[in-house]
Amino acid sequence: MRVAVLSFAHVHAATYLRLLRERDDVELVSADPGAPPDDPDRGPLLAERLGVPYVDTWDEVFDQPLDAAIVTSENARHRELVERAAAAGVPVLCEKPLATTEADARAILDACARAGVGLMTAYPVRFASAFGALRRAVHDGSLGRLISVSGTNSGWNPARSQPWFGNRELAGGGAVMDHTVHIADLMDVLLDGAQATEVYAQANSVLDADLGLDVETAGLVTIRYPGGTVAAVDCSWSQPKDHPTWGGLTLTCIGERAIVEFDAFPRLLGGFDASVGRARWEPGGEDLDALMLDAFLDTARTGRRPSPDGEAGLRSLRIVLAAYESLRTGQPVTLPTPRSGAEATP
Amino acid sequence: MAQLDVALIGAGGIARAHLSAWSALGARVRIFAPDGQAPALAREFAATAVSSREEAMAGADVVDVCTPTDTHPEIALSGLAAGAHVLCEKPLALTEADAELIAGTAEAAGLRLYPGHVVRFFPAYARLRELVSVGTLGRVAVARFTRTGRYPTWSPWFADPARSGGILVDQMIHDYDIARWLFGEVVRVHARRCGHLTAPAPEGAVATGTAVLTHQTGVITQVVGVWAPPATPFRTTFHVSGTDGTATHDSVASTGLRITGGHGGDAEGIPSGDFGESPYTVQIREFAAAFAGTGPEPRVSARDGVAAVRIAAAAAESARTGRAVELNGSAV
Repeated sequence: MRVAVLSFAHVHAATYLRLLRERDDVELVSADPGAPPDDPDRGPLLAERLGVPYVDTWDEVFDQPLDAAIVTSENARHRELVERAAAAGVPVLCEKPLATTEADARAILDACARAGVGLMTAYPVRFASAFGALRRAVHDGSLGRLISVSGTNSGWNPARSQPWFGNRELAGGGAVMDHTVHIADLMDVLLDGAQATEVYAQANSVLDADLGLDVETAGLVTIRYPGGTVAAVDCSWSQPKDHPTWGGLTLTCIGERAIVEFDAFPRLLGGFDASVGRARWEPGGEDLDALMLDAFLDTARTGRRPSPDGEAGLRSLRIVLAAYESLRTGQPVTLPTPRSGAEATP
Repeated sequence: MAQLDVALIGAGGIARAHLSAWSALGARVRIFAPDGQAPALAREFAATAVSSREEAMAGADVVDVCTPTDTHPEIALSGLAAGAHVLCEKPLALTEADAELIAGTAEAAGLRLYPGHVVRFFPAYARLRELVSVGTLGRVAVARFTRTGRYPTWSPWFADPARSGGILVDQMIHDYDIARWLFGEVVRVHARRCGHLTAPAPEGAVATGTAVLTHQTGVITQVVGVWAPPATPFRTTFHVSGTDGTATHDSVASTGLRITGGHGGDAEGIPSGDFGESPYTVQIREFAAAFAGTGPEPRVSARDGVAAVRIAAAAAESARTGRAVELNGSAV
């Protein structure tokens, strides 16, 4: 399969390139025309370092036959690349959040539906087998009714390595935009795609104030779902920059019959690393990005509908957009009832 | 310290924890409980059970109120009227007005009133307070607190919001108080509650509460409370992030002693804390010294108790109305 990686703006681009270059069934092509010329983590310099094929323009990418495309541009620039891939008839894996506005997200969905190409939103955590076990426990009733969930998705401030994450226009927001969607997507799985009914958020920019970002760096979000289930989320970029690991994601599910704790990135080994004078942290768990890419390439190959699809990406984006509205008003925001037919497969 | 005469009102779980502490401190305790449980509890600790509240309070230096929350105002006020200092279990009252009435009455009478916000005396929280106040964490941005214990079905009043305020008030007030102690006055509260929220609560009931507090200092705090299925061990956690790092705690991850496979290893109703000195004893020693006029001001005041009730009442109002509740942020 010929797979295109479009833009290296997102920190996950390098991750996907590394995974894809190791696959015998994938022929890579990549481009990052918007890259700052001297940035070692962007454009031809990154491609060269990773040893992956690189072309200079989008035209050169789309001049060749493609089987799949991965969009890893700045959040606000997903739309133009997804539309271009869809017009070329290529199935798309789009980095999360799908877009920074509902209009852009709808345009992305519509473009893929019109072209009849699959659209997957890049939510790797739902591919964890431990999460699969949690999902089964919720769905088969062994946990009882899901009463409430606490979710944390904390991490290093990504604007330290890619400044656009701290730019409201390009990123759509800060920690609330970047991290809330991951927890929202897991809730989407546990609650069978039920659209949240209400969102409340509070945030501040105390952490990393020295970076001069125009986005929030810490946030707490409370999401309410039909039936009354509540998710309490900490989406902060609160992982100290010298911490031995980037951050993590956890869910604590309170069911009527049991409490289940899920850790998407469990620590495999601890200890102390005397050479750098800090705690040892050997990560455990599966490679969730690799599992997600497997699933995406499989749908691209077979034409089966991807999961998480674009609708799932739109539902979690709506939650985040409501969170920003709540930050503006200081009050909970009620989400509109999804328009009828929105769930229909094109 | 002069020997204190203490009237302990109530003979339930918290009364037992208090009595154990009063006994360790050598106080003379008279116990009255309307439910008839006083004699058994008194025998256990060589205290005296009496048959009326008046008999317990007559001549007492201190009245210790360990009854259901809806009865706190009336009992605390009668203790003050009897000329005694008062230790009142948290929450001081269900409404800010009642809490204010108790605090104002104590002030007017020149008597001391302390609310039993015992979590301030648990070592992890006391140490966190030191770290935050000396600036070890830098400027704090965001904090999370969780508190999980089995649903208090052992006594029917807990499940009744009219008597206890429910989980958002009865249980989560501990962490509202801690958050305010650490990060300052609260100006906005949003809360939700889920699960079994009414009396009677059957064995196996589950309830949860979620609150977001916005402090005047800009810090944001999430508080999650769980009244959990019966076999759930008591557990509290916190995670505090500041510009100079984080402080985290998990009460089940760092115990000094862990016993498994035996009897009674989990699901205790009243947390014992770590295996050092009971935080209840530390608390009551600090209060007792202040009551006797021999010690410094305790780390928690009547005004702190009123402020905690104000936050808890705002949380309950938010859950009821679905709106975030603005507080003016001034000290009470």
